[in-house]
Amino acid sequence: VSRSMAREEDFFLEEKRFKQCCEDFVKHSQQIGDGWEWRTSKDLGDGYLSKIHFQVRNRNIPPDLKEKNSDNTEQTLFAHVEEPLDDSQAAGVCSTEEVVRYEYHVLYSSSYQVPVLYFRACFLDGRPLTLDEIWGSVHASYQARLQEGPWDTITQQEHPILGQPFFVLHPCRTHEFISAVLGGSREHHRHTNYIILWLSTVGPVVGLNLPLSYAKLAHEQSANADSG
Amino acid sequence: MTDDKDVLRDVWFGRIPTCFTLYQDEITEREAEPYYLLLPRISYLTLVTDKVKKHFQKVMRQEEVSEIWFEYEGTPLKWHYPIGLLFDLHASNTALPWSITVHFKNFPEKDLLHCHSKDVIEAHFMACIKEADALKHKSQVINEMQKKDHKQLWMGLQNDKFEQFWAINRKLMEYPPEDNGFRYIPFRIYQATTERPFIQKLFRPIASGGQLHTLGDLLKDVCPSAIIPEDAEQKTQVMIHGIEPMLETPIQWLSEHMSYPDNFLHISIIPRPTD
Repeated sequence: VSRSMAREEDFFLEEKRFKQCCEDFVKHSQQIGDGWEWRTSKDLGDGYLSKIHFQVRNRNIPPDLKEKNSDNTEQTLFAHVEEPLDDSQAAGVCSTEEVVRYEYHVLYSSSYQVPVLYFRACFLDGRPLTLDEIWGSVHASYQARLQEGPWDTITQQEHPILGQPFFVLHPCRTHEFISAVLGGSREHHRHTNYIILWLSTVGPVVGLNLPLSYAKLAHEQSANADSG
Repeated sequence: MTDDKDVLRDVWFGRIPTCFTLYQDEITEREAEPYYLLLPRISYLTLVTDKVKKHFQKVMRQEEVSEIWFEYEGTPLKWHYPIGLLFDLHASNTALPWSITVHFKNFPEKDLLHCHSKDVIEAHFMACIKEADALKHKSQVINEMQKKDHKQLWMGLQNDKFEQFWAINRKLMEYPPEDNGFRYIPFRIYQATTERPFIQKLFRPIASGGQLHTLGDLLKDVCPSAIIPEDAEQKTQVMIHGIEPMLETPIQWLSEHMSYPDNFLHISIIPRPTD
């Protein structure tokens, strides 16, 4: 069996395959209690993945950055954003702990034929995070790319099914890193759960991490397919 | 051919006479007079209302002024929708001028996107153009353009410069000679009554046999409840830029001539007035 090189089309995700990957993804989430569910829209039958996640943020703000003017368009920088819970109890550090409620949705874009990550975040008192606060909370590793082109990366947009404001991680660049991750034979792609690969790559940019057991799921599918 | 270019101009220069009134609960130092303005159908509220903002801020104290937002009969108006779409969808069968209420407090976070600067509008506008080209040309045309061409599209819109805009936009309206149209048509269908803000799906302008798909074909495929067979009484109107195009119109032609500057056809399905 010859393994042909992947074409550009293989990095595109058809809607049927999107739904199937999501179905498998939710099954696994249910098995490990990761909290993802699929929501179907009543009118057109399309849908999206959804998960709510609470994150404790440890804001270590250096004294000189605290003094920020009230201009809305200034970026408020968070020097460090710790990952949930374990690290947040660092002793002897002057910090403010805040709980932020994140709601993540994975929708399908028929225009770009890729999944798209929507999210919104608010403090426990209901106050939504501003775009500046969202930009500030992007993981340190991605800050350079974000500052290069913030308007190409994360912006506020209308949720295409709910009609409410959400933040969106732009899909234009999905092909760039998906091809880097998937680079290889076409045979291999067919058995890969695109959602797991994609979400494990883009999720961390906005504070969403996938437990390692999802990688097992992608591998199992591959093994079953080969032996079938 | 001359006729077709006239359509482009008519679309670009369409205006809606509007009366802006300050919300009664806003705190003012003296009475606020209403402000009248002709709004360009193809632009965005926050792009063309600087004068409105200045007019009302003159009678308010600085601390009472926060981000401006607009509302029509209790419905917050989405600034990221083109003005013509908002009017067709919410007010097309009401008397002119269009009465919009201006707010400076209690921004409705659950309904409206923020718009703190013109950069936000530009980013939104360019994102729509890019998505439209992804559908029409697999992004090939928009990606081949230089940054200055992208800037020219935005500046043309911002400064109401038809020629400047179309010098670049015409490239987004071309297609390879061997094809008879775009790959897919960029469109969105809006109905004020649904929770879903709009319907958008993949739709080819040319059928497999080579015939041109029509507006009627699009609606039948994507939104069948919008049109009822010819012999029944039409309860709804299908409106683009304030008119009802014939359902037999080829969708490729509509896409080339009646798209908004963001390169999308924004189509409203509204109740037909019963007078």
